[in-house]
Amino acid sequence: MSIFRIALNNLKRRKMKSFFIMLGLVVGVSTVIGIITIIRAMNADLGDRIDEFGPNSIILPRSEGVEMGNEMSQEINYDVQKLTMEDIPKILASEVSEYINIISPKLIGAVDVGEQKTLIVGIEPKSEFMQKPWFSLKEQSGIKNGEKIDELAFVELPETSIMIGSSAAKAFDLKSGETIVINEQTFSVFGVLNETGGEEDGLIYANLAVVQSLLNRSSELSMIEVSAYCNACPIEEIAMGLEKALPNSRVIPLKRAALFREETIDRFSTFGLALSGIVLLIAVLVLFKTMLSSINERTREIGIFRAIGFRKMHIVSIIFIEAGLISLIGGIAGFLLGSIMAVYAGPYLAQIQGEITIQVGLLLPSILLSAILAIIASAYPALKAARLNPAEALRFI
Amino acid sequence: MSEIMISLKDINKTYKSMGDEVQALKSVSLDIYKGESVSVMGHSGSGKSTLLSILGALNPPSSGLVEIDGIDIYKLSQERLADFRREYLGFVFQQFQLIPYLTAHENVMLPLTTTKRSNREKREMAAQVLERVGLKNKMNRLPNQLSGGEQERVAIARAIVNAPPLILADEPTGSLDTKTGDEIMELFQQLNKEGLTVLMVTHNPDNTKYLGRTIVMKDGRLSDERLNLN
Repeated sequence: MSIFRIALNNLKRRKMKSFFIMLGLVVGVSTVIGIITIIRAMNADLGDRIDEFGPNSIILPRSEGVEMGNEMSQEINYDVQKLTMEDIPKILASEVSEYINIISPKLIGAVDVGEQKTLIVGIEPKSEFMQKPWFSLKEQSGIKNGEKIDELAFVELPETSIMIGSSAAKAFDLKSGETIVINEQTFSVFGVLNETGGEEDGLIYANLAVVQSLLNRSSELSMIEVSAYCNACPIEEIAMGLEKALPNSRVIPLKRAALFREETIDRFSTFGLALSGIVLLIAVLVLFKTMLSSINERTREIGIFRAIGFRKMHIVSIIFIEAGLISLIGGIAGFLLGSIMAVYAGPYLAQIQGEITIQVGLLLPSILLSAILAIIASAYPALKAARLNPAEALRFI
Repeated sequence: MSEIMISLKDINKTYKSMGDEVQALKSVSLDIYKGESVSVMGHSGSGKSTLLSILGALNPPSSGLVEIDGIDIYKLSQERLADFRREYLGFVFQQFQLIPYLTAHENVMLPLTTTKRSNREKREMAAQVLERVGLKNKMNRLPNQLSGGEQERVAIARAIVNAPPLILADEPTGSLDTKTGDEIMELFQQLNKEGLTVLMVTHNPDNTKYLGRTIVMKDGRLSDERLNLN
């Protein structure tokens, strides 16, 4: 016979009461675990989405001369080192390669269209348009009005075709399906892009290899735009890793996207923690009330223990062992329930595209959280029980 | 004359009830010797249960001296008082007061729980005492699976398992039929013959024949005292 046995037997006898105390813990712990699991998944998902939404690093050739701050005016610079197609495998082999998501190389140059000069951009269409999902086609060659236009990220741009920004299309009076002569080569207009409001509206887009050939700059690149996952690595570190891999270049990290990402994730985390705090507070209050009523029901029993020689410490031990046993089961059950809720309900509740995985690392914190809740909720009832006057408890008087 | 087990000197106990002061005990002085068996009788409100709680180290008097086996018990700290109850006193409460979720065996082991004996020793001691009260074959039953008389025997076994020198009993036969009550009183008589000092609060005059001395209380004072011829 031990204090532990007394506590265990009491829990077994008061199954309903024990169940409700445990339920309070399960609700508190599962809510917190569910929220944390969903927030972690949301963070990763949101991070991925933001990371994919535009480049977060731009690689430019290193130049020793005057920089105009605009990649389109590089012809003004002197002693410019060149970026080439050979630099792309170096990015993939760099120490930050695991964080790289999309690499979009491009060559920009001036071409003749009739008697006018205009800028043409050589791109790899799939990576370019995956990186810039705000690009879309207003009209597409072979697609009639009202029919569904292809998603740019999935378009194969023929070598003899170009895509044209809305302002440029207006300037050259071009529509999809029509032809345009660039540097004495004829191209058909595959599609006209929707207006973006940016400088892209005035550009002509063609396959990278085609533009390199048109400009007689075989294998040369003006810039490489890189989208990297910043979940596990700050953008500055990624930029440094890229510069190390490409000594002939300079890498400009686009901090604004990274800051936006951090701010957004911080907001989600703060909201989640605040919500968890409120749920925990409610759980502690419910537990406290239930434990207190349980102690009140056991007044006479505690009086017997005290009368036959149990010290106050022994009474407190009984209450805490009971709370500990309940919190152990409650913690495990709360973890399982919270994880299951997050995995199955999370994608619908939080509109997460990726898969939510059970965070096994949260099991021990769940049990600890449950134990802390139980200790907070049972501390006063335990002390109250220990302070009971045994004579009054036994109603001797 | 043998040694004194209980010595009460000028005990007063005052309670506050509904704002009024109620004097439950008035200048009670009493000596009980080792190996004696004493019944305390009196009407409800006469102060006998208050006297028992003071003797049981559960309720300090407002004034006066309480010595048990020469120890001024209310000078002990709360924790030492708990140890004193465990080592010196065996309680038999009204209505048995067994712990409902523990078996008869576990109930009897309760006073041993906080001692440093091994679990095996505790189990054996409890089993021996249950055999002594004739319940060895029912030791694994819960209290609600036992009759009133059997529950009383378990309560007595719990009171004596620690081999305390003094047994305090509060109306131990109050809820039993006459035959079972007599059996229980015979058990108390037997324990007393073996050397235990027994002090019992009772309403039943028939119980006094099993005990050596009767004290009658009235309005918080000892009003009568007589030796029983048995």
